[in-house]
Amino acid sequence: MVATDKQQASPLWTTTTSEVRLTGTWREAKPDYHVAPSPCHGACPVQGDIASWIQQVSRSEYYGAWLTLMENNPFPAIAGRICHHPCETACNRQQLDETVGICSLERFVGDMALTQSWALPAIKQDDDCSVAIVGGGPAGLSCAYQLRRRGFKVALYEARDQLGGLMRYGIPSYRLDRAILDAEIERIIDLGIDLHLEVELQDQAALKRLHKEYDAVYLATGASQSKNLPMLDYQQPWVLDSAAFLAAMSHGQNMLLGERILVIGGGSAAIDTARSARRLGKAVTILALEPEHLLPAQTIEVTEALEEGVEFVCGAMMQSTQVKDKGVQLHCVKVDFSAGAERGEFAIDVLTGSEFNLVADTVIPAIGQQVDMDRWAGLLAADQGLAQTDQGWQTSCRGIFAGGDMASMDRFVTHAVGMGKQAAQAISHYLRPHTEVAQVKTEKPVGFEAINSYYYPISKRQKQKQTELETRLDGFSEVQQALSDHGAMIEAGRCFSCGTCTYCDNCFYHCPDMAITKLATSEIDGSPNRAQSGPSRGIGYSIKSDYCKGCGLCVAECPTGSIIMREDTGCSTKQESCS
Amino acid sequence: MELIDYQDDGHFFSGHVACAGCVEALALRVILNTVGSDAMAVVAPSCSAVICGGYPASALKIPVFHTTLESAAASASGVKRGLVAQGKTETTVVALAGDGGTYDIGLQALSSAAERNEDILYICFDNEGYMNTGGQKSSSTPKSAVTGSTPAGKETSKKNMVEILAAHRIPYIATTSPGDLNDMAAKVEKAKAIRGTKVIIVLIPCLAGWGVVDDGAVKTARLAVDSGVFPLLEVFGGHDYVLNKTTKNQPINDYLKQQKRYRHMSVEQIASLQAEVDEQWQRIQKRVEVSSGFEA
Repeated sequence: MVATDKQQASPLWTTTTSEVRLTGTWREAKPDYHVAPSPCHGACPVQGDIASWIQQVSRSEYYGAWLTLMENNPFPAIAGRICHHPCETACNRQQLDETVGICSLERFVGDMALTQSWALPAIKQDDDCSVAIVGGGPAGLSCAYQLRRRGFKVALYEARDQLGGLMRYGIPSYRLDRAILDAEIERIIDLGIDLHLEVELQDQAALKRLHKEYDAVYLATGASQSKNLPMLDYQQPWVLDSAAFLAAMSHGQNMLLGERILVIGGGSAAIDTARSARRLGKAVTILALEPEHLLPAQTIEVTEALEEGVEFVCGAMMQSTQVKDKGVQLHCVKVDFSAGAERGEFAIDVLTGSEFNLVADTVIPAIGQQVDMDRWAGLLAADQGLAQTDQGWQTSCRGIFAGGDMASMDRFVTHAVGMGKQAAQAISHYLRPHTEVAQVKTEKPVGFEAINSYYYPISKRQKQKQTELETRLDGFSEVQQALSDHGAMIEAGRCFSCGTCTYCDNCFYHCPDMAITKLATSEIDGSPNRAQSGPSRGIGYSIKSDYCKGCGLCVAECPTGSIIMREDTGCSTKQESCS
Repeated sequence: MELIDYQDDGHFFSGHVACAGCVEALALRVILNTVGSDAMAVVAPSCSAVICGGYPASALKIPVFHTTLESAAASASGVKRGLVAQGKTETTVVALAGDGGTYDIGLQALSSAAERNEDILYICFDNEGYMNTGGQKSSSTPKSAVTGSTPAGKETSKKNMVEILAAHRIPYIATTSPGDLNDMAAKVEKAKAIRGTKVIIVLIPCLAGWGVVDDGAVKTARLAVDSGVFPLLEVFGGHDYVLNKTTKNQPINDYLKQQKRYRHMSVEQIASLQAEVDEQWQRIQKRVEVSSGFEA
């Protein structure tokens, strides 16, 4: 005979269990499961669900992880190589040890998808509306992909003979292998894109025709004009445009004259130019306005350039040039550089008396690109040299949208991909107002204080291997090598999964009142990050209002910050589920 | 991330009347589910008695015998002998008592049971005072801690129950805390399989008695372990010491800061308590060094 056996209980024994007491009535606050944005998500230019796909990687659900990535970015293998990864800068883990290697994990998944030739889900239904996309760079391709997935007819116009834009004609292959680039682009085209290569829209009349022919137009023609240094005579044979040089390099053409190359600029294009020239066996110097720690290029690019023997002259500018017998002499001076509030803004003070000279055979300015807005004069309004757009990336001409470098100063590949996605959402809403609902996440990202770091032992970041320095300069093969399977597993395990529940059951086990129920699989809708778990692990949880005393231990012991306490003034005793 | 891996089979019921956030209830949950269904509990007056009981309802699935404050170990011995007489030799008898019922009032009964090596599993929920009666000091209250009966802070040090029990040469003594539920479940599992007297002392940071916030007891327990105030250890046969967490990587300040009972302390008092903790840590280290290490 046991105490719970109510029917047969004798009066000597307790006749019931403590469950008759509804101790939940003591409660003033109640835990609430919620999905909150992670800091990496907030920083991500494509608004990727980073916590979700990393969790899938840690559970070895690689295909699922890839699909989650592909929701927001059709280029995981490309972004995993060249993204400037603001996600990692925002990562909460750096407050414990080091940021999670999000970019290397993205590359790991992206590469696996290519190796295993994973296919995208079939397009559910075709739509009669058609969209013309002008420009086959990251913004245009991203927009084409997102619109085609939604079933729209998509025509893509590209002026050059190959797609990729800056990814092909600006980024050297030692940073982005061409096979990877081709494969990720091909996957988009295979969705059924009407492709028009080597078709350039010369003027606004051509754009008008396109506008008439299609239901909407997306312009992403980039920033194709190089900015000019006033003190440099661009007609001289020893002056070479960096964009033209890099584009020629992508075809295997070498435009360099002489052995001493001077690159002017401190951004990614300058570093790409310098490192490409080093691979051609040249002696290369970079002259940049910014001091070394403020160079606009990524730190890793600068580090690798230094390793490869590129000389940096930082915090200085050229004032004039003089052609001598043995090369061009550049008269330079040191400057005091101060960054402005906006990206690209700065002020300099020339430090008198600090003059010095540099000598070169070829000078390559790489100080940035600007947009040719004159082409669209009369049709599209311009704003500070960029196409003027509203919040939904629509230009001054209704039905014509714009994005990428031609509409923004955020000049990173993944920013362009994100803009393409946003424009696709806006175009979809424009064409089918009732189907596309804009997703707005206004909630504050989960901070480090919400993470219970007890559950995360100190663990150093898994570093990607680099090609050995000796062989790097021999050619244009990739410098950064992918993580191993084991390394990726460890790295994914380092993710705090801020604001996204990992179903670890900590809340369940730390409740002194047994007031948390694990929900069975069948009770949960099929959202992607809840697909699979261990046999006895919960897949979603609910709070028993009858017994939860509102102590908050579940919140304190949640390793991911996925539970918060809310004031509970009601007397409802119904079960409330994890949403 | 290490997942919690004991199985909750519903041996401890909701609706008990422990304070919100009480980790004694949390520890009971782990212990009762690990002990399993072939078991009987003997409970001395304590918070546990209140949590388990409240006639005519019980929070425990297994039968419970509520006994007197001084006789938890003696009653458990009798229950076990009765079961053995009935041929139920495998049934685990688990005694549940507080530090008052262990360090003070029940010490004689526990010492006698240990001397006879009675086959019982004795759990002491050590919240370092008579917290159920309003927070008076016990011989387990640490130096400087404020209680209802030591308003200026206790003058003497905490009684070392592990060493007293070790002197009885019983097969198994362990300390554990709600800061590590896997450690707690593993030690109960281990004790269950050993014949003779087993004692597990569980540190219970008491929300009301120590002045800890409602969701802070688990964290406080972890800080007690990390700072070496409450080392997690096992003693086999009274001789062989094993330290389960071998690093003491924090000064006691963070641990003290969690609790109102230490709020009044001067720098000198903190230094004195730190010295006591350091000395205890070194003493345990020496015992670990000379242990034969037959059970690790």
